[in-house]
Amino acid sequence: MKALRNHTLSLFFAAIFLATLIGQAFVGQDDFNHAQLAHEGDVISLGRYVTSSEYWVDVLENWQSEYLQFTLYVVGTVWLLQRGSPESKELDKAGLESDEDQLVGPHADERSPRWARAGGLRTRLYSNSLLIVMGAIWIASWLGQSVTGRIAYNAEQLDHHLAPVDWGVYLGSSDFWNRTLQNWQSEFLAVGSMAVLSIYLRQRGSPESKPVGAPHDATGIEG
Amino acid sequence: MRVLRARGIVPIVLLGVACGGAGCGGGTDVAEVRAVSERFSAAAEANDGERACAQLTPQTRAQLEEQEQRQCREAITGVRLEAGSVARVQVYALNAMVELSNGEAEFLEQGQEGWRLSAVGCTPQKDKPRDQPYDCQVED
Repeated sequence: MKALRNHTLSLFFAAIFLATLIGQAFVGQDDFNHAQLAHEGDVISLGRYVTSSEYWVDVLENWQSEYLQFTLYVVGTVWLLQRGSPESKELDKAGLESDEDQLVGPHADERSPRWARAGGLRTRLYSNSLLIVMGAIWIASWLGQSVTGRIAYNAEQLDHHLAPVDWGVYLGSSDFWNRTLQNWQSEFLAVGSMAVLSIYLRQRGSPESKPVGAPHDATGIEG
Repeated sequence: MRVLRARGIVPIVLLGVACGGAGCGGGTDVAEVRAVSERFSAAAEANDGERACAQLTPQTRAQLEEQEQRQCREAITGVRLEAGSVARVQVYALNAMVELSNGEAEFLEQGQEGWRLSAVGCTPQKDKPRDQPYDCQVED
C-alpha cells in the first residue's frame, strides 16, 4: 500500500487519461454517426470508429501538441528565465550548468543513474534524454496526425465529389494547419499562463507553486 | 459520408507515408470498388438498367428517378456514359473514387449494401478538382 501511495500522481493521471480517451471514443462515435445520419449515410460501430482515421486524427492532433509543449518547455527553460516564477531557474543559472551542479561524470555519486556516471556519448545522450524522447513522441504523433488527417480529409473530399489530395499537398492545407495551430495556441497559452500566474499566485503544498509566504520576486523555488 | 478504417497507429503511419501521393485503401476495399465500377460499366454497355441501378446507392437511385420521373432501370439507360476501363482506384474510409481511362471519374460510398456508386459520369471542373465538385451526370 505504501508503495502504491508513492506513485499516486502517475496512477491518477493514467486513470483519468484512460477514462477520457474511452469517453472520447463514445462521444466521438455518437458525433460521427450523427453526421452520417444527417448525410443520409450509415452509422458505424464503436469498434469500427476507434480504428478509424477520424478518431485517431482527433487523438493525435492533441497528443502532438502536448508533447511539443513539453519539448519546448524542457529546452526553453534551460536558457529562458522568468523572474519570480517557480517555473524558471534562478536568474544566474541560465544554460546547461556545470558538471558539478548536474552530478555527471566524476561528480556523480553512488545513487546517480549509471549513464550519468559513464561519461562520453552515453552521458551526453542521457543528459538530453528527456528532450530526445519528448521531441520524438511529438514528431511521431504529428506525423501520425498528418497521415490520419489526410485520410479523414480525403474521405470528406470524396463525399463531396472533390478530388483527394496527396500527403505533400495535405501538409500545406488549411485543414492540417487548422488542426495543428488550434492545438498549439492553447498549449502555449497554458504554459505561459503557468509561468506568469505562479509569480503572484500560490497553491499551498504543490511543487508547482512557491511557498505561500515567498516573495513575488523569488525565482526558481518550489512550495 | 466519412470514416476510415485504421488498424493501428504504427501500421497506419507507415502505410500512409509509404503511400505518399497515392490513395491507399485496404486491398479488399480496392477490389470491391473496382468490381462495382466494372459491373456498372458492363451493365450500362449492355443496356441492363436493372443491374446498373443495383450498383448505385439508394440515394443516387432516388435522385435519378426524381430527376427523370421514371424508374431507375429505365432512366439509367438514357444516360450517355462514355465507355472506359478502370484506370485508378482510391479508397479513403467509407469513400472511394474511380478514375476511368476515358478521363471521367466515379464516386462510391460504403454502406449497408457494401460499396455502391454515388456519382457516375463525372468530369473535373477546370483546373480546380480539389476545390470544386466534379460535374456528374448522375449523382446523389
